[in-house]
Amino acid sequence: MQEFSPSTLLVLVPLLPLLGAILTVLLGRTLGAKAHLPAMAGIAGAAIVAIALLAATARDVGPAHGVHAEAVRPVEMISTLWQWASFDAAYTPPAGSPATDARLTPRELAAGQDVRSFSLPVALRLDPLTATMLTIITCVGLLVAIYSTGYMHGDPGYPRFFALVAMFVFSMSMLVAASNFLLVYVFWEAVGACSYLLIGFWFTKPEAARAAKKAFLVNRVGDFGLAIAVFLLWMTYGTLDFHDTISSDGVIMPGILGQTRLADAAGYVGGAVGTAICLLLLLAACGKSAQLPLHVWLPDAMEGPTPASALIHAATMVTAGIYLITRSAPLFAACPGALTVVSIVGATTALVAALIGTVQNDLKRVLAYSTISQLGYMFASLGTGTLLGFTAAIFHLLTHACFKALLFLGAGSVMHAMGGVIDMRRFGGLRRVMPITAATFLVGSAALAGVAPFAGFFSKDEILAALHAKGWPAAHGDHHATATAGGPFHLAAFSSDGGHAAVTAPAVGLDALDRPETWQILFWMSLVTAGLTAFYTFRAVFMTFTGPTRVPEGAHGHGGHGDHAGHGDHADHAGHAGHDSHGSHESYESPSAMTWPLMILAVPSALVGWLLFSTNWLAHFLSATPSLTATAVAATATPHVFHMNLAIQGTLAAAIGIVIAAIGHLGRRSDGPQLERFLGPLQTLFANKFYFDQIYSALIVRPLEALALVAALFDRHVIDGTVDAIAGIPVALGSLVRRSQSGLLQRYALAGVMGVLAIVVLLAWQLRG
Amino acid sequence: MNPTQSLPLLQNALTVGAILFSLGLVGILTRRNLIVMFLAAEMMLQGISVSLVAWSRYHGDWGGHVLVIFVLTVAACEAAVALVFVLQAFSRTGRLDAAAWQSLREANVARTVDHELPSIDTVPLRFPTLTPAGVLPPDDENEPLQREHV
Amino acid sequence: MTPLSFDPLASGPLLAGAVLATVASLWLLLPNGRDNASTRWLGTLLGLAALAAFIATGRRLGGLGEEAVFLIVSLVAVISAAATIVSRSPVYAAIWFALSLAGVAGVLLVLGAQFLGVATIVVYAGAILVMFLFVLMLAQPAGLAPYDRVSNEPFLSALAGAVLLGVLSLSIGRLSAGPATCCELPSRGTATPLTTTPLTTTPSAAADVATPAAANATAAPAAGAISTATDPLAENHVARLGGELFGRHLVAVEAAGVLLLVALIGAIAVVSRGEAALAAEATAPTRPSAGRSAIR
Repeated sequence: MQEFSPSTLLVLVPLLPLLGAILTVLLGRTLGAKAHLPAMAGIAGAAIVAIALLAATARDVGPAHGVHAEAVRPVEMISTLWQWASFDAAYTPPAGSPATDARLTPRELAAGQDVRSFSLPVALRLDPLTATMLTIITCVGLLVAIYSTGYMHGDPGYPRFFALVAMFVFSMSMLVAASNFLLVYVFWEAVGACSYLLIGFWFTKPEAARAAKKAFLVNRVGDFGLAIAVFLLWMTYGTLDFHDTISSDGVIMPGILGQTRLADAAGYVGGAVGTAICLLLLLAACGKSAQLPLHVWLPDAMEGPTPASALIHAATMVTAGIYLITRSAPLFAACPGALTVVSIVGATTALVAALIGTVQNDLKRVLAYSTISQLGYMFASLGTGTLLGFTAAIFHLLTHACFKALLFLGAGSVMHAMGGVIDMRRFGGLRRVMPITAATFLVGSAALAGVAPFAGFFSKDEILAALHAKGWPAAHGDHHATATAGGPFHLAAFSSDGGHAAVTAPAVGLDALDRPETWQILFWMSLVTAGLTAFYTFRAVFMTFTGPTRVPEGAHGHGGHGDHAGHGDHADHAGHAGHDSHGSHESYESPSAMTWPLMILAVPSALVGWLLFSTNWLAHFLSATPSLTATAVAATATPHVFHMNLAIQGTLAAAIGIVIAAIGHLGRRSDGPQLERFLGPLQTLFANKFYFDQIYSALIVRPLEALALVAALFDRHVIDGTVDAIAGIPVALGSLVRRSQSGLLQRYALAGVMGVLAIVVLLAWQLRG
Repeated sequence: MNPTQSLPLLQNALTVGAILFSLGLVGILTRRNLIVMFLAAEMMLQGISVSLVAWSRYHGDWGGHVLVIFVLTVAACEAAVALVFVLQAFSRTGRLDAAAWQSLREANVARTVDHELPSIDTVPLRFPTLTPAGVLPPDDENEPLQREHV
Repeated sequence: MTPLSFDPLASGPLLAGAVLATVASLWLLLPNGRDNASTRWLGTLLGLAALAAFIATGRRLGGLGEEAVFLIVSLVAVISAAATIVSRSPVYAAIWFALSLAGVAGVLLVLGAQFLGVATIVVYAGAILVMFLFVLMLAQPAGLAPYDRVSNEPFLSALAGAVLLGVLSLSIGRLSAGPATCCELPSRGTATPLTTTPLTTTPSAAADVATPAAANATAAPAAGAISTATDPLAENHVARLGGELFGRHLVAVEAAGVLLLVALIGAIAVVSRGEAALAAEATAPTRPSAGRSAIR
């Protein structure tokens, strides 16, 4: 591969799906049933290239040496495509901001005053974090595309779906590969737009259109936070680039996450401005990753086709928030208060979503709340601010992508077979008629619940370890001592309470939250959530796949068509009647286009956790990301240890959950009495999603609608009224003048005579004398 | 030609012509009876004729006379044809009213109607009656002893 | 520039007064529907006052006899004209019009238009007026109709007429006897050569035509000493008029004859078509006979 440099390959990863999307748009109608080919080829090509890039980056990072934390050299490669915009003499940085530290170019020095120029290059980057994300995005995208050829077969919008999926893969790839905050913002919006289009794919269905609008508007709140954060970043740091750039005069302009600034102990702003930036980034991440209070769009997003849910709302788009915070790790490390807020938000969301998920009867809703909950776990882990926390979050992101995509595709398989019915109370005992789906679903559920040795167990264990280390720092102190002795890196600023770099500004009030007691509460919350996760996951499994075999009428036999436009994934619909052209069959298993991705995803769901944990490869690989080599973050490195006590606690919680679920649902009819009846009034609270939607509707939606009504009335009556009034003036004048047209001959003659007389008098006057 | 003498005559005659013309103009604009309107039009032509002849006398040439002859001719033709139309109009509406024809008015303008006029009290004419010869008139107690007319 | 015997500027207020009096009198005299004897008397008085004012603005002629004759005939013409337009009964209006024609004929004779004076009486009073009376007899045998008793916009019309009269009088008063400053008038001092020689000697039809004109020519100087010596048109008046017509304006005369023929044919054509349409309407259900007495 001598002729393909890494920078060329990096461009190919977003470019190939983009070309696939464009070709699908242009040729979709012509290709008909083969409309998936350009998009799938593009995504497949991108997947191959992404894996190659992963291998290349891994080779650059080097192998892990043992379990001790070691100083890792940051690995990154920047590829600038073109200069999007460039302004000379653009601004003067405010006094005291790190931007003033940036050296002036000789031309700026010659200008005399501190006036900087601003440039906006379209640059892509390749580092371990990006490589990991690209692999996840393209591989899951490919499997989803293969699955969709079966699921969306016969849908009138078949070409449009694949064009949107390819467009999404392009946008998400660009988001994780962008090396500039403004580019990240652009593709942040782009993935939001693709999500809107995919949720509202069956736009003729009002619920789908409403859900798409809701998703977009809620995301907008987060995007607002990101926009303000971008402004503040520019004002503070003087640039929006991640990487260092070299001006034409040979002067290095430090990027926000460039090597220069990362090595500088005082390179990041803390205090009020820094916390504001971090909290705004958190707001953006909450919007995209469906955390409290912006989580309300994700359950409604299940109105879209199931493959889209699997791709976007399980594996990739919702992880954009995780990616953003991980990428901004040095920024957060300078504001410990913001980090704590991140964890609080994450853990709370995890708990609340798990509680809501226990009473859901719609299989896809269960999975949606499960997604919110697992994302909350990742946020909780990110908020610890330690290297372990960041790498655990990405580890869990990876495993979650595998098993959640598997679970969603399995749910889609069930829904396809049941003729669009997804209410678990209407079917049961499906393991006898859908064995492959049942088996893979079981693997995914075990991974989700954290059953050893499936993937979720290890990643969840890492998260609990990170939380535990913050809550009980003494228990982890001996690890630190070992590390101090063995590590060649600088730990001067490392203190026993978790450690953070010297801040350049006094601590803000939020920093007071960063106490061990807080972390202990968060740890217990996470443990309870683990139990709840196991409970609702296996409740769903038992309700769907165990018990007497029941199939709703209208369910399709093997080879029938699944949902078409007009179906939703709504729990109470029956399928469209009468398309069972193949008669009734024993097997309801989905076509192989759908079961092969299930089987392929079951393998990493089972194995990838153990593989990556035992070799510690992922943590070592990710620690070479420039953001995570920041002094503040790298200093928190701990050796790789398997925490047995935490593993036991986690497994115990999961076991309790599974047992309770088994007591309630194993082998029973799924529409029988449920365990939730013991909850009493709490059941109503959980079933109504803690009334978030109702509160938002009353506080925000209704006032906005009232305001919109006022504006509409103003527009119609005042503005249009003014225009109509002005238009009515000639009409009124005309009707006044019209009355002189009486039809009476002598009046007309009189008018003529008076006119002539006027002229005569005028002439006489002019000619007088 | 002595200008001193003929100029006053000219001015006086022109004044007479102007008066006739103006009166005819007022008559056309005012009177509603079609015949009277035409009379007034002819009067305007008379005024014009007087003015033309006055000018012709002043300048001492025949131009005005000739023109008046043609005015006369055209007036005759006009009167003939116009009266035919007047009769046609009369047969359609039943009266010689210029205000009977209002169809050219705008759509939202109401038809102009006259005010109610006070009635003209006409004294009924009583014609004398003669008793037939040889016949006694019938005896009527209600007959007034004194008659107004015989 | 021979100075005039009358100062035009001094007649300004007099003229204005005459105009105002004319307006008021016409407005009062025109049929109104609600007028009575007193308004008519007031209008008449104002009209006479206006007339007096106009006479006062008039110019002095050569001799008293001339002035008297001219004044009498012009008064007859003007007063009859005013009576024509203010009479309620259209028949009376026609009679007054006949009298006005007589006055106008007198004025024309004073101006030396012998043929035209007689032609006016013959054509207008004799033919046109009789036609009007016939139509009145056919169309309005009942006498006074409601539309004869109202006028259309009397005040504005009287104002228009009076203002026009005022402007014309003012312009007439400013006429001067010098050469015209604007245009070059062709000089027509004497009669054209075409008309001079033969007509005086030809006996026949020209003599027959010329006889009443000659009688008029001899009668005119006997009437009011209007100097025929100063009237270049008096000698062999009709003959020379005829010569002028058939000489210089032959084409126009022939065209006028054609016009008369066309008018005759056109009138007959319209009448016959109109009668056919009337016959068709008679069979139709809608017949506008109900509107004869009611105001529609």
